Amino acid sequence: MSTHLFGLTNRTYKYSHAVGRAEFAGTGFRNATDMAIAPDGTVYVCNRSYENRPDGVHVTAITLDEEYITEFGAYGEADGEFMWPTSVALDSKGNLYLADEWLNRISKFTKDGEFVSKWGTAGSGDGELNGPAGLAIDADDNMIVVDSGNNRIQKFALDGKYISQFGSKGSDDGQFNLPWGIALDGEGHIYIADWRNDRIQKFTADGQHEASIGSTGSGVGQLNRPNGVAVDADGDIYVADWMNNRVEVFAPTGRYITEFRGEAELSKWGRDKLASNPDMIRQRSLAYANNPGYEKNLCHPCSVKIDPQGRIAIIDHTRNRIQVYVKEAVPALV
Amino acid sequence: MAEQDIALMSHLMRRAGFGASRDEIEAKVAQGYDKVVHELLNPETQEAIEEDLLIRYNPSYYEAAAIENNVQQWVWRMINSPRQLQEKVALFWHMIFCAGHSKIDSGQEMGLMVDIFRQDGMGRFDNLLLKLSTNPGMMYYLDNTESHKSNLNENYGRELLELFSLGVGMDEGFNYSEDDVKACAGAFTGWNIAPPYPPFPHGRSPWEFRFDPADHDNSEKTFLGETGKWNGDDIIEIVCKQPATARFVARHLYNYFVADEPQIPSWRLTPPRDQAAIEAMEKAYWESDHSIKAMLEVLFTSNFFKDEAVRYAKVKNPTEMVVSLLRMTGEYQGYKPGLFEYSQEPKYMGMDLMNPPTVEGWHTGREWIDSGTLVERINFASDILGNTELPGVRSLVNRLMGLGDKISPEQFVNGCLDLTGPVVLTSDTMGLMIAHASKEGDLSHGTDAEKDSFVRRSGEMFQMIAATAEFQFE
Repeated sequence: MSTHLFGLTNRTYKYSHAVGRAEFAGTGFRNATDMAIAPDGTVYVCNRSYENRPDGVHVTAITLDEEYITEFGAYGEADGEFMWPTSVALDSKGNLYLADEWLNRISKFTKDGEFVSKWGTAGSGDGELNGPAGLAIDADDNMIVVDSGNNRIQKFALDGKYISQFGSKGSDDGQFNLPWGIALDGEGHIYIADWRNDRIQKFTADGQHEASIGSTGSGVGQLNRPNGVAVDADGDIYVADWMNNRVEVFAPTGRYITEFRGEAELSKWGRDKLASNPDMIRQRSLAYANNPGYEKNLCHPCSVKIDPQGRIAIIDHTRNRIQVYVKEAVPALV
Repeated sequence: MAEQDIALMSHLMRRAGFGASRDEIEAKVAQGYDKVVHELLNPETQEAIEEDLLIRYNPSYYEAAAIENNVQQWVWRMINSPRQLQEKVALFWHMIFCAGHSKIDSGQEMGLMVDIFRQDGMGRFDNLLLKLSTNPGMMYYLDNTESHKSNLNENYGRELLELFSLGVGMDEGFNYSEDDVKACAGAFTGWNIAPPYPPFPHGRSPWEFRFDPADHDNSEKTFLGETGKWNGDDIIEIVCKQPATARFVARHLYNYFVADEPQIPSWRLTPPRDQAAIEAMEKAYWESDHSIKAMLEVLFTSNFFKDEAVRYAKVKNPTEMVVSLLRMTGEYQGYKPGLFEYSQEPKYMGMDLMNPPTVEGWHTGREWIDSGTLVERINFASDILGNTELPGVRSLVNRLMGLGDKISPEQFVNGCLDLTGPVVLTSDTMGLMIAHASKEGDLSHGTDAEKDSFVRRSGEMFQMIAATAEFQFE
């Protein structure tokens, strides 16, 4: 008896669990746009919420085991506040940096959420920002900012001192159209979710184009406005394929492996919420019987990150939760 | 460019859209009136809103549950959509096919209902009524979800006839009987909604129409003189071939796009203000197999629409007031925070979008104005039109400066009125405006100080215009 793996060996993925529920404060999220995961497993989720519910705009610190730690930040322009948060990243000391694409600034917080400092000047000159959309911090504690409106990637010291840049507007190799998410791999390569070009671009640490993955569409390996990207320890690439409501997985070569469309079961906090509301339990059970896929599926996944255990965490933006998948060393039965 | 062409194009864009900047008006005059009408009537010939950008910068708009998000998104579309008539038509149907968030309690359903009006509002009336009758929000709002084969609820059946198609009566007669209401309601039994997800823990799911044959009254019914085992779609077909329906749609179109008519409940006894205009649109209805677009084409290209007598003959509804000012002043173009407050302004002026007071909708015309709403209208209009920091207002000031190195108070007042409308004032009001402008004499803009004064005086004059009675009309 033979098996037919067609070259895609050594990889099985399995849905693990979901985290969170829709909340404007506390044990849930509201229109989360990104997360950063610390070596100790703390997950910082930045919630964008919306204008008439500014109470939903903050960073929520949790674990993927669904423990609530704290929340910090608020809607506004003052120190420690933000209006249109897009991305968060951690430095080697555990400080958190948050990008605000409306205020064109980066705010720094301690790991406990104390505001430390801010920097950023609107514009298109060296070191100026126009809609920072993605943040990553490399092994040398340099910050790499996806300067989306300027269609370029800029490198800074953590205090905001400008170092270098690459990229311009366009669709050729090394050019961008409103890029959004960013990831670094273990070798320092930079991966950019080139949002309106429907592709991921891979660069060397100094900005040399190495490869592009994806094309416009909803088919295998295609993308519709990808906005998040992550790379695991094996070099496999995970792309939040925003408007296709899925996460696509690519081998380091760029070959399509599989995709996650979402399999969410109720999270712990989700169960807690329902437990206090029998009418909603009844309504949900009827709805679930009619259309189970609706609640399980990803809806506008917005960010994907790898945790210290190698788990794949996906911000399920519209459903206000995180879906977690695991990559099994031993082939997993699904 | 001839003044009368500017005035006519401004009139068209106020009625078939939410107004336009002077630059846009001039560009459209250069295109020609008939070509502009053709574009308005065929939205697909104009650029679409870039949905990916809209959702990227306002991610909560996607499957938005909150009513505020849905209202805000709609106001954004009214301001920014190149397909102006499409949004204006959506508002037209929202004001007739009234359902409200106060009962539906799902912002997303209100947004989806308005999207039907946007997408199908200029097509065949039969299709629009079918979409409406399978819209879960409307089914719930008018209790069709509670109407069963064994226990009829007549609400939807009645309102479909009274408020959505035939109207109570015309030419002093009645358009339907109580038996017709019962037959109509019976035909819509089984038209229901699949169970949706609750708001917790992950948000409501969009509601889905579901036909339940076991709950449908399949018996023989007589409706408007025709007998058969009518289902809801048969009822719509019969309704759409009634002369009363053509009259009903034509009078509504006239009332919204041309000039204020008497309030709808009086239509059975009160003849149309312009019988010939109504007949012309009825003719288009029949000749086009019930096309709303065909009726609108007759309307916008007719002399009764172009007639100077109907210009400024309509009181701006609150949404028109707010959105037209935001468009004229160039405020809130593109993506930026701050729209929530603006999107609530129509409510403060008496028009809570997506939440009409009853299924009969808002009373229009002069009933938009009372002492409270008038203060809101004037305060909003004068604040925004007097804000010379806004790009659209700045552009008007630059145009005023272009009138000459030195302009008289009369030229100045006339210029301000021309650029903000053109607004035509009564001679008394005009006299007051010129007297005010004359207090500081002629206007120049050669030096920085003169420029500052020119800008300040322009802002003040725009504020005064916004506070006139004439500015309440469109």
